Amino acid sequence: MRNLIHQVIIEPLQEVYQKLVAFLPSLLTGIIVFAAGLLLAWLLKLIVVRIVRLFKLDAAFDRSGVTDALRKMAVKDTPAKLIGRTFFWLIAFIFFILALKVMKVPSIDQLLEKLLLYLPNIFVSLVILAIGWLLGNFLGRAVLIASVNAGVKISSQISKGVKAVILFFALVMAFEQLGIGRNTMIAAFAIAFGGVVLALALAFGLGGKDLARTFLEKRFGKKGEGAEKDDLHHL
Amino acid sequence: MPSQTADQFEKSGAGPADDGDVDILVGIPSFNNAKTIGHVVRAVEAGLTKYFPAQRSILVNSDGGSSDGTADAVREASADLDAVLLEHRVRGFHKLVTPYHGVPGKGSAFRRIFEIARDHKAKACAVVDSDLRSITPEWIELLVKPVLEEGYDYVAPYYMRHKYDGTITNTIVYPLTRSLYGKRIRQPIGGDFGFSGRLASFFLEKDVWDSDVARFGIDIWMTTTALANGFKICQAFLGAKIHDAKDPGADLSAMLHQVVGSVFGLMEEYAGTWSAVRGSAPVPTFGFAYSVGLEPIHVNVERMIGMFRLGVKDLAPFYQSFLPADLLASLTDLAGRTDRDAFAYTDDAWVKTVMSFALACHRKTLSREHIVKSLTPLYLGKVASFVIETWDCTAEEVERRLEDLCLAFEREKIHLVEGWNGKD
Repeated sequence: MRNLIHQVIIEPLQEVYQKLVAFLPSLLTGIIVFAAGLLLAWLLKLIVVRIVRLFKLDAAFDRSGVTDALRKMAVKDTPAKLIGRTFFWLIAFIFFILALKVMKVPSIDQLLEKLLLYLPNIFVSLVILAIGWLLGNFLGRAVLIASVNAGVKISSQISKGVKAVILFFALVMAFEQLGIGRNTMIAAFAIAFGGVVLALALAFGLGGKDLARTFLEKRFGKKGEGAEKDDLHHL
Repeated sequence: MPSQTADQFEKSGAGPADDGDVDILVGIPSFNNAKTIGHVVRAVEAGLTKYFPAQRSILVNSDGGSSDGTADAVREASADLDAVLLEHRVRGFHKLVTPYHGVPGKGSAFRRIFEIARDHKAKACAVVDSDLRSITPEWIELLVKPVLEEGYDYVAPYYMRHKYDGTITNTIVYPLTRSLYGKRIRQPIGGDFGFSGRLASFFLEKDVWDSDVARFGIDIWMTTTALANGFKICQAFLGAKIHDAKDPGADLSAMLHQVVGSVFGLMEEYAGTWSAVRGSAPVPTFGFAYSVGLEPIHVNVERMIGMFRLGVKDLAPFYQSFLPADLLASLTDLAGRTDRDAFAYTDDAWVKTVMSFALACHRKTLSREHIVKSLTPLYLGKVASFVIETWDCTAEEVERRLEDLCLAFEREKIHLVEGWNGKD
């Protein structure tokens, strides 16, 4: 009976204890590495925020509309704080991975390997989203200014539409990069894009036929009933 | 009447004088101007013959690859001097037809003219547009003589124009250039200029010939370069300027981008010069000023006000990023006024608008093209307001009204300098 208890309970417990004792230094090292990483991340955050404020980037973000856009996305932090926070979590994440590596647990190693292989996809997706956001803003603004200057009454809507299409396109590309619902996203995009084009074709074809006629008449020399132009020479 | 291509001229080393040097060079940039360039060449020929019979002179046509026979029109154009002058020299009048290379545009055409002026050591030069219908031989005298006989380096044109002709010049370029550099040059982007050979060589030394200056903006670049580098400047009264209408479909916002964008760009280059200047002084004006009967032009004020309203409504979020809040509020208030007679875009508001746009370009937080093109509706608002205010005024009264606008620019300049140097 005593032997049985020893074999069933004591020996496994001893084994666990030995493994724990053997693992403890690695765990401790991991914790120290992570703690050092957190400290470094916190210091770096402070430095980055200082630098951003020193170069008055907050004011620049204000003027360029970035702060406004963040506010609309319910982000209450200033861009300076946000950049600092991003640096903090980036450093913290890197040190977390390092800490896990230091602990040398085979299953965690395997998981880490998969995660590390997947990381470039996440990075590329984020880059795609960032480019999409910048491009959407830039082109949306360009379209807005051009259509206002052309006297188009629905300039604002056209601009928002262009921006939305570009953002949606970037989102689809990002998801495709991540391998999430690849076929579904492509199909959704194709349906949505096709739908928008069809809707626009119908809207312009039916609703804008008079406008098109006036435009063509003006373009090809026949007198239309459009707004009277003036003879101002601006230069 | 000798006429040579550039190759012939340069290979032979021949030209108006045995040593290849000339006293006067008149340049005409062109691109598909066969219909109008003949008249310009004849006027130049008559002008050189009548007013500078003893000088060695040459006409240079710098062409951008015309396909409508512009070069032939230049070669074949010949003034009937017996009908124009009682007596004239019998020496040959030399013409040089040369293509320019590089970036297509008026700036590259001018560069070729400057190069020829330098190579042939021209003492005085003039450039005139190839689509002019009102050019007379006297223009050549007025553009060249101040350089040749009075020692001036740059002669800007001074035209008699309809009170609503040249509204970008009147409401932006003239007042802004005047307040920046302190010289009252009424037509800084006139298109027809006189300049010394020294200044032509100076222009060539500048590293701008692959930039936008080569494409557009050469007129304001030449004027500003002459102003900011201390060259001796005057202006010449040329009478009315009548020329072929530019493409009527030409995009106003593209025009603003080219002209106003160039002025803002030059502000960067010469910030050290203009920020120290206060007030302005007149420049000597040559020629006999006279009134010219000009055809009335139709102005659609309602359309311009409509464009202003649309711009203020839809572009407000964009303007918010660089226009002062009180200014934007006043523009919004103006856009909301339904009574046409109450539509008054004040000079102070307009000056603040233009200076805020200049500062926004300087800060580089947004695309310069977007900023300048978004000025279009506000500019139309200012023009509409100006037309309403001066509808019953004579050209002279309008000129006095523009003087008030210029003084408002000069008063507000101190704030521009502060904003430029980062004191918001």
